[in-house]
Amino acid sequence: MIAIVLYVLSGIAIALLSGIAKGSMRRLWLGAAVGLLIAFVAFPFSRSLGNLTRETVNPTLLALATDFPWLFGLPVLLILTLLIARRGGPRGAWTAVVTGVATLLAGLVFYSQPVHLVRLAPINGLMELLTALVLLGAIGLAAWNRPRLRWPLLAVGLVAGVLAFFWLNSSQGGHTYLPNSAGYYKLLRPTPAGANLQLVDAYNAGLQARNQVAKENGLALAEPIQSLADLKGKIPAEAANQGYRMLQPSRLQYGAFAVFVLAGLMLGAGLLHLRNLRLEETGDLQAGVVLASVFSLLLPAFNATEFNPAKLVKGWPFLVQFGQKAWPPLLADPSTNRFPLQEVLSFMTITVEIALVGTFIAALVALPTSFLAARNLTGASPWMRGVFYFTRAFYNVDRGIDTLILALILVAAVGLGPFAGVLAMAIHSVADLGKLYSEAIENVDKGPIEALESTGTAGVNVLRWAILPQVLPLLVSYTVYRFEINFRVSIILGFVGAGGIGFFIQGAMAAGQYDQMIIGVIAIVIVVNLIDFASSYLRSRLV
Amino acid sequence: MGKYRTAMIEVRNLSQTFVSPKGSFRALEDVNLSIPDHDFIAIIGRSGAGKSTFLRTLNGLLIPSEGSVVVGATDITQLSKRALQKYRCKVGFIFQQFNLVNRLSVLDNVLHGRLGYLPTWRGLLGLYTEHDYEVARAQLARLDLSTKENARVDSLSGGQMQRVAIARAMAQEPALILADEPAANLDPVLSEEVMRTLRGFNAEQGVTVVINIHALDLALEYAKRIIAFKRGRLVFDGRPAELSDALVDDIYERKEMLA
Repeated sequence: MIAIVLYVLSGIAIALLSGIAKGSMRRLWLGAAVGLLIAFVAFPFSRSLGNLTRETVNPTLLALATDFPWLFGLPVLLILTLLIARRGGPRGAWTAVVTGVATLLAGLVFYSQPVHLVRLAPINGLMELLTALVLLGAIGLAAWNRPRLRWPLLAVGLVAGVLAFFWLNSSQGGHTYLPNSAGYYKLLRPTPAGANLQLVDAYNAGLQARNQVAKENGLALAEPIQSLADLKGKIPAEAANQGYRMLQPSRLQYGAFAVFVLAGLMLGAGLLHLRNLRLEETGDLQAGVVLASVFSLLLPAFNATEFNPAKLVKGWPFLVQFGQKAWPPLLADPSTNRFPLQEVLSFMTITVEIALVGTFIAALVALPTSFLAARNLTGASPWMRGVFYFTRAFYNVDRGIDTLILALILVAAVGLGPFAGVLAMAIHSVADLGKLYSEAIENVDKGPIEALESTGTAGVNVLRWAILPQVLPLLVSYTVYRFEINFRVSIILGFVGAGGIGFFIQGAMAAGQYDQMIIGVIAIVIVVNLIDFASSYLRSRLV
Repeated sequence: MGKYRTAMIEVRNLSQTFVSPKGSFRALEDVNLSIPDHDFIAIIGRSGAGKSTFLRTLNGLLIPSEGSVVVGATDITQLSKRALQKYRCKVGFIFQQFNLVNRLSVLDNVLHGRLGYLPTWRGLLGLYTEHDYEVARAQLARLDLSTKENARVDSLSGGQMQRVAIARAMAQEPALILADEPAANLDPVLSEEVMRTLRGFNAEQGVTVVINIHALDLALEYAKRIIAFKRGRLVFDGRPAELSDALVDDIYERKEMLA
């Protein structure tokens, strides 16, 4: 309950802060309305338990609305708010206040509902349909700026969408590739009268047989129950299998956070808007939709990454202990014949050298191939166009495979040590450099090319004398920049056994020698800054 | 001066249509013309009348939609890529924007005029012959650029850059020089200088010159022959003296208020 009050107050506080800065209030309550609509459909609001942890279902407000039909009033109110907002003025502000209060009350009323039994009603095919629509939408988006290809592409998107839908819904050869997606979205239905008692009776009837098994395995015996409440929120396995769940209205999920914050925001923004009716601007709806979209992307992400500052507070003593052990650094200990500073310097040299060799090889391969990936040089014949698309495709695939992943594979192939790191770095950097190079080539001044062509110069010599002199400083600059990035990559490479300072840090960390590890960390900070400085100085001189 | 001699250029039924997603544009419409050796032709007309298109067709930078450009006995619109490169060695082209490689030296840029004569591998390595250097230096001396030989082009003034571009074209030892608005980016004094230089090449070495030009006074003063384009059609072909004010008004589509 305190949490709810805090959520609402923080929503109001956001409105107040923005109001002090004379921001548009209509934008805020419009955004809140859009956000609430998204939360209503997509964010889990509450929790319902089965017998096992994995049988837990977190229903959205939409899913709960089949259990509490009055919840359907919320989206109606929200859409009404959006419609009235077009006009602006006091009427819109009043609607925002009313809708904000109504949302708040709806949330509170639901929160105070008792724990009770519900039955799941999975919507089959919904996730499959959404996948198909996303596919269609993506292709449609690509078609948007190509007037001539718009309808053919949309047709392709439609066919792809339909195919995806049926493929996902087919039996797929006896098994399914995406077992979680079938019936992922579940509505909660009220249970028929007497279902409670039936489940209790069934549980008690099966009790003896189960206790027999438990006894043979030396487990604790279960007692007969009077009501499902005796199972403390859980329900018997058979009931869970039949689709029953125990709904816990007061166990709020992140959707509830969204609903209460946004309701508070809507209420606060509506009231401030009433107080000062000039707080509205022309692009409010678009800006509100953008705000709501960002909010709706961030919130599930925070939830999925288990963002929890409390854990940091709990882990604070470890950090203190780490600091005490790490300082002062142990530069050398002749009595045990250990010289960490010496080791760090040696490993750091290797790290820089990996970056040097990796970048050099990458540049060597990227230079000739980037000409094949430049649109302006490959338009002459369909064959050259083919080469262009092939090179671009190679770059795109290669760019997607990170140096670290390549290093993992190559360590297995060529063994531990810097060679694997160099190879991985070279292979990945080819794509990155090649793409930058080819873009530099595409942006070259066309005048000299035309001039050399009109002196009767052959194609390769036009490349050599009209294009290369123009792009060379840029290419060198990109290569230096890539070296700068590659140095930072090669720090990490050691962690997968591909040589360098990362290897030292990992070893010292694993052995708890924090006072040695800290030398490596300090060395990295110093060298990273030195190389950044040198690189930006070099690049500023080049272009 | 045998190396500067060329054959007559015969342009027959030349048409050029550009097709873009927005529609097609007829840049040249049935142009017929013959350019004898040693001629000095100025092409006048409004922007978009087809002057640049015509000039680029003469050295094969553009292939016409219809018609032919016959030089001596060969139709250059039908040449293979290699044969076209060989033809272009003998045709110098001077651009309004100079189109020099800014980061290279003046001498390097002038030597580019010799690249067409070199085997490809020598060109790649920049292995010009002694003769190439002689020709290039001679042109630099003639255009008063000897002291700038090693300067980077981007350190030069506009007038100097255009002289480098002319030197590059002349280093080709061309039979024909095509110049697309060579003076449009220069001040009046430098414009006159460029025109005098071109007339000098024409008079002393017999190079045929075809030049696109907006400045009508310069065209009338320096050219032996004027031709005019209006909306892709050839509307005038004659000596400068034959060009009346009424014709000029028509060519430039000038609509004067009658008092």
